[in-house]
Amino acid sequence: MSDMNDDLDDVFEEEALPDEEFALELLEEELRRATAILDPVPPALRQIAVEAFALHDLDSRIAELAFDSVVDALPVRGATGAPRMLTFHAGEVTIDVELTPQGLMGQVLPPQSARIEVLSGPQAGSPLATDDMGRFTYEASPAGPFALRLRTGEGVIVTDWLTV
Amino acid sequence: MTAGVVPSTAYDDLPYTRGGAVDRADVGALVQSAVDGDAAAWKALVEGLSPLVWSVVRAHRLSDADAHEVYQTVWFRFAQHLGRIREPDKAKSWLASTARHECLKVLKSLRRLTVTDDPQLLDRISEDRTPEQSFIDSEEAAAQSERVRHLWQEFEELGERCRQLLRILMASPKPGYQEVSAALGIAVGSIGPLRQRCLRRLRARLEARGAV
Repeated sequence: MSDMNDDLDDVFEEEALPDEEFALELLEEELRRATAILDPVPPALRQIAVEAFALHDLDSRIAELAFDSVVDALPVRGATGAPRMLTFHAGEVTIDVELTPQGLMGQVLPPQSARIEVLSGPQAGSPLATDDMGRFTYEASPAGPFALRLRTGEGVIVTDWLTV
Repeated sequence: MTAGVVPSTAYDDLPYTRGGAVDRADVGALVQSAVDGDAAAWKALVEGLSPLVWSVVRAHRLSDADAHEVYQTVWFRFAQHLGRIREPDKAKSWLASTARHECLKVLKSLRRLTVTDDPQLLDRISEDRTPEQSFIDSEEAAAQSERVRHLWQEFEELGERCRQLLRILMASPKPGYQEVSAALGIAVGSIGPLRQRCLRRLRARLEARGAV
């Protein structure tokens, strides 16, 4: 994206004449039609988005993503197997998650037991339970859309969705 | 696009207003209905705004698998945040900007960089055809005139910035500049001139191959 500005130098070139602007609009419209034919939204995906309405739940709290090592940590060259570290906050509750190719582990803080689901879409996720210290592990590595739903003593918390 | 699920699906018939008040208010109203539990309003939002989300994802040249995942993540997030979005009438910009950030993150992840080394190539190979997709493909085959193929080829060969901008403008209905700005992280004021420039380039390429 750093090259996003270098082309703008001659952006204040002459305005298109009405005739030219009309031709460009036609071309743009033609492109739009070509896109609808050659690269439309896959219908199966659209259907998943329709079903995602089930994720609309005003009773649960959202644990917002506060740290993601992909964005917030300096990359280590060659360290492709480094775990991805995520931290979510919902009020006083913090959820730390570490994702590796082998699976995930994490902890709910302050330490408390919770029932957890590993979500990959609107359908019910794989169930997990924490130990008394709020720690949990999951033996499969999530791929694709990912969120955790936690049932704690104080209610339901769902983490922000992200792609892993 | 399905029609007539709810009156508000007339969204697609609205004239293009560069993100103007009409369709923004309409999106705002649909969001509000969806917050109140109206599944048809949600469906209308998905139908109306999917092409925008898909265009933003495609503009970032992810592999097919990553593109599918990001598209889903964006909608899951939207459903989750539905009642908490402060300005429902700006849901289009919210979606465009969320899609952009999620794309950039995926591109940034080292693991994925190695996987999506050559997204173009991967796209051709890793395509997992659903029956619906195959059906569309056969329709496509018939519809693919020379002209459309040439146009697409020349478009694909434009510079990265032009290709990206045009891919987003090609969403249907045409997105407003506010959404394009959110999708690309560039100033609204620079979009018009850049668009003109990119379309001129594309036209020059088509002329050069005698396809105009």
